Amino acid sequence: MTVLALRNVSKSFGPIEVLHGVDLALEPGEVHALIGENGAGKSTIMKILGGFLDPTTGDLLLDGQPRQFTSGPQAEAAGVVVIHQEFNLAPDLSVAANVFLGREAGGFRLDHRAMREGTADLLGQLHSPIDPDTLIRDLSVPDRQMVEIAKALSRKARVLIMDEPSAVLTHREVGALYEQIDRLRGQGVAILYCSHRLDEVAHLADRITVLRDGRVVRQALRGELDENGMATAMVGRELQDFYPPKGHPSDALALQVTGLTVPGEVHGVDLSLRQGEVLGIAGLVGSGRTELAEGLVGLRPASAEIRVNGQPVHIRELRDAFAAGLAYLTEDRKEAGLLLEKDLRVNLTLATLERFGGFRIDTSAEDAALDRAVADFDIRAPRRDMQTGKLSGGNQQKLLLAKTMLPDPRIIIIDEPTRGIDVGTKRQIYAFIRKLADEGRSLVVISSEMTEVIGLSDRILVMRGGRIAGEISGPDMTEENIVRLAMGVSSEAA
Amino acid sequence: MNRLNLHTLGPIVALIALIILGAMLNPAFLAPANITNVLARSAFIGMIAVGMTFVITSGGLDLSVGSMAAFLAGVAIIAMNAVAPALGVHWGTILLGMGVALLGGLAAGWLNGALVTKARIEPFIVTLGTMGIFRSLVTWLADGGTLSLGSGLRTLYRPVYFGGIGWITWPIITFAVVAIIGEWMMRHSRFGRHVEAIGSNERVARYSGIDVNRVKLMTYVLLGLLVGLAVVLYVPRLGSASGSTGVLWELEAIAAVIIGGTALKGGTGRVWGTVVGVLILSLIDNILNLADLVSPYLNGAIQGVIIVLAVVLQREKSTADER
Amino acid sequence: MQRRNLMKAAALAATLGMVAGAGHAQDAEKKVIGVSIPSATHGFMGGLNWHAQDTIARLGKAYPNLEFVLATAGDAAKQVNDIEDMMATRNIDGLVVLPFESEPLTAPVKAVKEAGKFVTVVDRGLSEEGIEDLYVAGDNTAFGRVAGEYFKTHLPAGSKIVVLRGIPTTLDNERVEAFQKALGSDVEILDMQHGNWNRDDAFTVMQDYLSKYPKIDAVWAADDDMAIGVMEAIAAANRTDEMWVIGGAGMKEIVKRIMDGDKQLPVNVTYPPALISSAIEMTALRFVSNAPVTGRFIIGSQLITPENAAQFYYPDSPF
Repeated sequence: MTVLALRNVSKSFGPIEVLHGVDLALEPGEVHALIGENGAGKSTIMKILGGFLDPTTGDLLLDGQPRQFTSGPQAEAAGVVVIHQEFNLAPDLSVAANVFLGREAGGFRLDHRAMREGTADLLGQLHSPIDPDTLIRDLSVPDRQMVEIAKALSRKARVLIMDEPSAVLTHREVGALYEQIDRLRGQGVAILYCSHRLDEVAHLADRITVLRDGRVVRQALRGELDENGMATAMVGRELQDFYPPKGHPSDALALQVTGLTVPGEVHGVDLSLRQGEVLGIAGLVGSGRTELAEGLVGLRPASAEIRVNGQPVHIRELRDAFAAGLAYLTEDRKEAGLLLEKDLRVNLTLATLERFGGFRIDTSAEDAALDRAVADFDIRAPRRDMQTGKLSGGNQQKLLLAKTMLPDPRIIIIDEPTRGIDVGTKRQIYAFIRKLADEGRSLVVISSEMTEVIGLSDRILVMRGGRIAGEISGPDMTEENIVRLAMGVSSEAA
Repeated sequence: MNRLNLHTLGPIVALIALIILGAMLNPAFLAPANITNVLARSAFIGMIAVGMTFVITSGGLDLSVGSMAAFLAGVAIIAMNAVAPALGVHWGTILLGMGVALLGGLAAGWLNGALVTKARIEPFIVTLGTMGIFRSLVTWLADGGTLSLGSGLRTLYRPVYFGGIGWITWPIITFAVVAIIGEWMMRHSRFGRHVEAIGSNERVARYSGIDVNRVKLMTYVLLGLLVGLAVVLYVPRLGSASGSTGVLWELEAIAAVIIGGTALKGGTGRVWGTVVGVLILSLIDNILNLADLVSPYLNGAIQGVIIVLAVVLQREKSTADER
Repeated sequence: MQRRNLMKAAALAATLGMVAGAGHAQDAEKKVIGVSIPSATHGFMGGLNWHAQDTIARLGKAYPNLEFVLATAGDAAKQVNDIEDMMATRNIDGLVVLPFESEPLTAPVKAVKEAGKFVTVVDRGLSEEGIEDLYVAGDNTAFGRVAGEYFKTHLPAGSKIVVLRGIPTTLDNERVEAFQKALGSDVEILDMQHGNWNRDDAFTVMQDYLSKYPKIDAVWAADDDMAIGVMEAIAAANRTDEMWVIGGAGMKEIVKRIMDGDKQLPVNVTYPPALISSAIEMTALRFVSNAPVTGRFIIGSQLITPENAAQFYYPDSPF
């Protein structure tokens, strides 16, 4: 019955063994969730299943027969399709061209119409309004994810391996995704689903495999493991107090912003921030949250009246924001936050090089700073001179946080603090954020994860259509209230 | 670790192989006179290529340097000839000519950089345009012919190319100094770090508060200045400039940068590699001239093969990493 | 000498034609002559451009009913476009063309001829015979032969020389073959490499010759731009007394040095860029007079010696 399975698979990179005797079986018509902290070995397993890596020992079984894929396309031909977290889409081609890439319809002459209609049909099944003729580069990140899913659907997969497919999707899109997963399950497709969102795992998975340090530590059927149980199994200890206790902001205003306008994106937003406060900003993707933050720190053309500690400041570019004690941690870690091909030291000091010598860079001072950052933010890197891109997402995020904190800012805006990060690291980052607030710094946390905003913030602003739709605090901070404000359903909580 | 070394040392291995080959083919190859010749004639392209390393590392490109060199040489010669009757034939006049070349280089580099950063035009297009402009300007200045430095000034100026300390002539010394400063700047200066960051990911650089446009502009200005410096040493060699001066220097400089291990897409700059690249290109020419290996019609083919090979050797490691 | 005479003849004929046809020329309709030449990328072409412009300015003043269209091209394709544009938009009556390359220009020039226009071809022949009405050219074979004969007569048997060739073309091949033939077997050619009619390239090639060969008695640089690079390399190696250099084409600086009796530059071989002037003048003559202007005019290459150098010296030309 089993379509694709791993039998006693181990995998070593050089002398280091990262997988130890893993057994995993994917059954048709079943959603199999694979969970574990970053570095637990999930990606290695997905790569072996998808034909991108060979096991060092043990077997990959397809329909019960040992099989070796020499490449991804070969696995795809056998019906094993992987949806990667990093999109494999050609940005300059249209949606339809991407969906049919490598299996274009028509003979020598392309049948554009068939491909367009086929794509529209697939996207329709996903309730996505994307036009098949749009270029990928013009699509938002969630839309690209939908295209990636449509592309996988078009492959008529027997086994579908999905790596964090919902990480960048909005609520509604996630709903459509679940619907498709149900449909595929009904058609007898075997699905391997990797996710950090334990609520979604509990909702979707028929079977759960928990990985820790390259071993399978728990396998369970639907209903046998609740979210708390999953987290405990992943981390190996009880996870209590996931979010740190709330703080005690002072009454002194650290930041006052009046009439912040980013042309076309944000319309006259006022906000204030107290010392020692964590202010959450919630809202749907596209509601202007990131644009608000980037306008405030000078990364986008914007106009506003800004006071820091009561003193008016003018911020025209990011340097001005740094000088005023503001810092911004981007949501786009890989494309705007870190130089993935450079080592840790270069990344840490990039925004603050003038603190490390004049024209000449004082490398030993940089190394000392890296030592401190590694200790303060618990950055786990096998080697200092490794490429930052080879760190796990969680360690990248910690490094980015260390980089942001290097100039010792008093006001820190953090956009999506834990996107694509494992549970253990999430908790660490929450603790860092609270610690910074307790030191008297002020923080703005922008997040799409509602539990996160609620768990972290002393107060929440909800954005809709480039404006503040409402403010909630204390016991009013509930998912229901946020959704209402974000969707514009009702103003009762405002 | 071993593979990494082989990868970065590839160009040096190629250089050593060429030197051994040259010595085997003709004993005159290792004579001090020949070494002086090869190093000195590498100096122009070499200095330009060091500047080009910064431009390419920041993700830019400059196709105009060959024409720019011809134009600057022309302007410097005109300036010296013009003031010679008034100032007389002495070093003041020469220094003025040198100043014109350096300032002109600065201005020309600034023009390229400003068009790239302020007008936001692709570097390829900007410098393709200025390449044509500088080339036409020098042809126009020379009236289609050749601009020649007055013979008195020539005699005085000549030692700047041919003189030096022993057989280490001034162009060699200048090239060495430029290369050392360039390597130091790329590795240890804030400017070098910013250049690499921008080439690696411009958006990350911007989000780190780096003034991306200013740094990019400075790479073009630096390159212009080094073209000016190359001209200061070029003019005394033949004492003339014409429409055919510096033809294809830009491609030689770019080839040297790439052979040396700097990625054409930017992000990683290796100035010492560029120096090795320049020497490799000069040595190929030299060896082919010294050793009747192949028909002279095929010289270009040999060069092409070696350029591609040098780059293939470096790629081996990264493709191995893909898997 | 031959060229001078030719120019004199043309000027004389032109003057006569003007006088004779003065009344006739008054109401004569405007005639347009297109001139298409390669652009000034090196010294010789620079001189040729200068002479072309100079001649056009002079003739334009002398004959108000003549109009000239000058186009310079950096490559053969651009030259074809130029000629097509002249036909389409300027409605030329005559064409003076120095083909960039023979093959690609043959068909377009033939089309001009078939449209009933007067065609003058300069210097490089078309690949099909009988198209042009008038052919004016330098003599590449003579250019190589005259130089070769000088080397043969002025070097003792067993001497060794080196040669710098131009850009690889048939023109270069013709010159070198004629040179080798005239040189005979008494003098040994040590090496022949391409200096591409470029000073910098010639400098580099000569430096390497000097490293490679301990004894060189003379250099045939075949072009005055190359000769300048060659002499600089020789001077830098302190071997000026060892060898002499023969260039070619009569660049003014070189001619001046021959006039002044420079030992290193005993003679030069002409290949005058002014041949374009003769071609334009004769074509103009066709339109302002009734003189029959057709045929082939080959302007031979001559030896410039210290004795006759003065008459080859044009201080105003850029070349």
